[in-house]
Amino acid sequence: MAWVAARYAVRSLRRNARRTALSVVGIGVGCALAIFMESVNRGRDELFARTGAESGSGNLRVVPAGWRARRDPRLRLADWQADLAAARALPGAKVVTPRARAQVLLAVGTHVVSVEMVGVDPSTEPAAFRFVRQVGRGRYLEPGERGSAVVGKAVAERLRADLGDEVLVTAVGRDGKIESAMLRIVGVVSTGSEEIDAGICQVPLPDVQDLTGLPGAGEVTVILADWRATDAARDRLAPRTAKGDEVLTWGELSPEFRGHMEQDKAASRFVRLVILLVVFLGVASAQLAAVLERRREFAVLAALGMGTWRMVRLVLQEAVALGLAGAALGLALGLPVVWRFSTAGLDLRRWTGGSFAFQGVLLEPILYGDLGAWIVPFVLAVALGATVVASLYPAWFAARTDPAAALRVAQ
Amino acid sequence: MAGTSTLRIAWRNLWRNPRRTALALAAIGLSVALVLAYDGMLRGYADWMVSTITGPMLGDVQVHAPEWRKDRAMDRTLRDLPRKLAALRGDPEVASASARVYAPALAALSDEGFAVVVLGVDPVAESHAMGLLATAPRRPAGRSVLMGRPLAELMGVAPGAVVALVGQGADGSLANDLYTVAALVETPVDLVNRQGVVMDVAEAQQLFAMPGEAHEIVVRGRSPDRAAALAARVAALPELRGTEVLDWRTLAPEMVSLIQVVNSAWVLVLLLVFVAAAAGVANTMLMATYERTRELGMLLALGTGPGRIVRMVVAEAVALGIVGALLGTALGGAVVAVTHRTGFDLARVTGVGPSQISFAGLSWSLRLYPTLAFADVARAIAAVVATSLFASAWPAARAARLQPTQALRE
Amino acid sequence: MSRPGPAVRVARAALLVAALLAPAARPGAAAAPEPPDVDALLARLDDLYRSKSSIARIEIAVVSPRTSRTMRLQAWTRGEDDVLVVVEAPAREAGTATLRVGQNLWNWLPRIARTIRVPPSMMLGSWMGTDFTNDDLVKESSLRKDFTARVERRSDDPPGWWLTLEVKPGIVGRWARIDILVSDERLPVEERHFDRKGRLARTMRFDEVKVLGGRRLPAHMTLTPADVEGQRTEMRYLDVRFDVKLPEDVFSLSRLEQNR
Repeated sequence: MAWVAARYAVRSLRRNARRTALSVVGIGVGCALAIFMESVNRGRDELFARTGAESGSGNLRVVPAGWRARRDPRLRLADWQADLAAARALPGAKVVTPRARAQVLLAVGTHVVSVEMVGVDPSTEPAAFRFVRQVGRGRYLEPGERGSAVVGKAVAERLRADLGDEVLVTAVGRDGKIESAMLRIVGVVSTGSEEIDAGICQVPLPDVQDLTGLPGAGEVTVILADWRATDAARDRLAPRTAKGDEVLTWGELSPEFRGHMEQDKAASRFVRLVILLVVFLGVASAQLAAVLERRREFAVLAALGMGTWRMVRLVLQEAVALGLAGAALGLALGLPVVWRFSTAGLDLRRWTGGSFAFQGVLLEPILYGDLGAWIVPFVLAVALGATVVASLYPAWFAARTDPAAALRVAQ
Repeated sequence: MAGTSTLRIAWRNLWRNPRRTALALAAIGLSVALVLAYDGMLRGYADWMVSTITGPMLGDVQVHAPEWRKDRAMDRTLRDLPRKLAALRGDPEVASASARVYAPALAALSDEGFAVVVLGVDPVAESHAMGLLATAPRRPAGRSVLMGRPLAELMGVAPGAVVALVGQGADGSLANDLYTVAALVETPVDLVNRQGVVMDVAEAQQLFAMPGEAHEIVVRGRSPDRAAALAARVAALPELRGTEVLDWRTLAPEMVSLIQVVNSAWVLVLLLVFVAAAAGVANTMLMATYERTRELGMLLALGTGPGRIVRMVVAEAVALGIVGALLGTALGGAVVAVTHRTGFDLARVTGVGPSQISFAGLSWSLRLYPTLAFADVARAIAAVVATSLFASAWPAARAARLQPTQALRE
Repeated sequence: MSRPGPAVRVARAALLVAALLAPAARPGAAAAPEPPDVDALLARLDDLYRSKSSIARIEIAVVSPRTSRTMRLQAWTRGEDDVLVVVEAPAREAGTATLRVGQNLWNWLPRIARTIRVPPSMMLGSWMGTDFTNDDLVKESSLRKDFTARVERRSDDPPGWWLTLEVKPGIVGRWARIDILVSDERLPVEERHFDRKGRLARTMRFDEVKVLGGRRLPAHMTLTPADVEGQRTEMRYLDVRFDVKLPEDVFSLSRLEQNR
């Protein structure tokens, strides 16, 4: 009897080819839409995360012992070369860059500016710090050069200085002695935010070492390919760093941003729920209507002796078949679109209108859809879930109906 | 009349199969309700983001002496503070106006000095929901001050300890005195936690020899959205002539960009949700009209004109759509209205529990207050009606072209 | 980011004071205006400001468009690094003391009876009030070693010589050029400092030449920044003793805390 039921199911589907086709198309389109929406949803998470990470904190940071409590820019790593190597060897590390900081006074004549100077590696820093990717005037630091500085526009203005000018930099050296050096401005950065501009002063790493007398780097910042793996990556990196050095996650570095991230994550889940529900509803309601229309058919089957459970199974088999076909179609329709958006990205500037005045310096406006293993289970959940659930109730109901009564009603 | 009879027939037809119609209505209604709920949440989320930005430090509008923001010189103060505050508070668009003093200083528990920033604030004004002192256990008053928890831990200060504060007065004189740290605070502003000593603004004015003066006035209006208009209005006050008045968007453009990008991505998803909901409606409509092929054939055979058939089918579809949309609006609107009053703890609902949000004692208020604009509802209903129309067009046209004999056989 | 209190600034002012005091000029040189020997003159200007130890009383006035303050203080110095400054006036701040030994800086605040050590990061802070820069007082700069000088022209009123000093390449400092007017007594009358972009940044004027501590030098100095309206700092030396023998414990915390 089971085999008969299966054959019946298939034949039934084939007989109402148009209705079947319509159902499958409906499910397929719904699934494709659902995949695309979820891809954008996750892409948004990623955009937010990337924005934060590339604003300086990175996803992970190797810091000296005691930095977590003190945040003293004068602290240095126990063995920065070893930490750098360990970070570079970390699987999933996209960008690794060392830094050394010093609180300094810049002076041109009587104009002074107090700023935190950051010694960087010019070859890796722009990938880690978005604000120096576009240098408004002049150029960024070149690997190997010394004695040059890239400053924010507000710094240059407050110093009444410009490209090519020499600036006196003063810092507290190793033994508390005041040390000075001259720097030449090679680039001026303009991010559009005066506050951010006023905090940018980058020089080659060796210049900070020489000025302060403190050897090496004070931090190694890591940006991961997958921000969601941050905690796992930290656990993997921590034992490999030099003794005494700690690894912090971005949540620990910037609790304010972490608050936003958490809220964002919760909102993202809500959106996922809405997407699932909406698509589910659409698909299920259509299926429900279709199944309900076949009550007479089921009544006939019941009159012919088919048991309740067999009928339910019949309907379920049909539903599963439809669901799988719909899922397959959904994948076929949705995957190419998602793939395109995951590689080319979606330029959000058009959505935010002309007020996006900063040429993407402050914010990366390209949203990359997410393409991952989640897609298949997602599609199956939507398609099968909707069709099966939609079929269960009426199937059971139809099976319980008195055949005579059902046959008597002219539909 | 042709019109009303079509509508009456359409309505009656709908209820000939009550179960199917009810299910379709439920599906359409739920979809619309979901879209509206999502829309409401989106607006609530945008508002939340803005309030976390403007709440603690930024406010809606800030007033400074010109050039103060460049070097934060102690002597670049706003004078005649009481008059300025009175003028601001007298303006109907101003919800609150309070003054702040920012003074870099040295703090010492024993003889080791630490670089800190003394923040003189109005404790009442800063204690509002998203404010700086929202989660502070006590308010600063007189010689009793608050210290950021990380700073206190660094200095070895426990509540009740007496610290010396040394700084420079606005007149260049040496400011120094002893203060009791009444409590440790975690504010939403990391810099305040790491370097801040919070005291009552009147005490700060006295310590730093600046009576009746302040460095900053924070102004809040009815809504952060209208900050620019508020700034323009406030700047026109005669008492504020010669000062720098800026709205939060001008002060923190990087935040504006962040919000814009986040919002635009949300809106994109909303659009897609819309499309999905519309597709669901269309699917339902298609099925509903499709199943009626036989009946339509019968009508044609009985002499009903094809035009009438089309009108009938379309009318049914639109009626179904509108009723479903109205039901959905009622449900969605109700959900938004309720959550708007009580607030909606997103974290708890979605399983990202509050314990994960709170950070070392600081609890971020994660309550969203969804709101709906009329445009949202109008948009939803219009979308449903439009999809009903489109979804019914094809089966209606097909029905009109039917050969009655063929249709009857189906 | 913080600015040190006036006591700290005063400590630096005191160092400048110490630097300004020097072996006595030889008065009454030949009246005939002869261009000076540049090298010897620079060496003298550099050494005008050195002594192994000193005690001085100084008055400092800071005038800005918004405020105006005067302080009187007493300063003990030893070598380049050790300074003790005690404020005498105004009364509100009398008794406040600042001690610098090597790289450490402490403040004594009589009003709250506390000694506080100033962290190194705050020693860098730019100044509000006085127009002195920290490398005026902390760093050793030498006109003779850092600059190439030449006599520019004769000045008739006041009588003296204008010299132009151009910074040597590779020298770390704020000034690209300094123009100095020295009197026929070979004492500074005016100094003009030009920044690294060649703009006039500030002007220092010296007057009230008198004998202090056995040396003849200008007792009053005015420092005026070039692009700030109505801003200047003035220093006046009320009395000075050079190369005095100071007790061992002058530069100690315990002495710091005693009433003076």
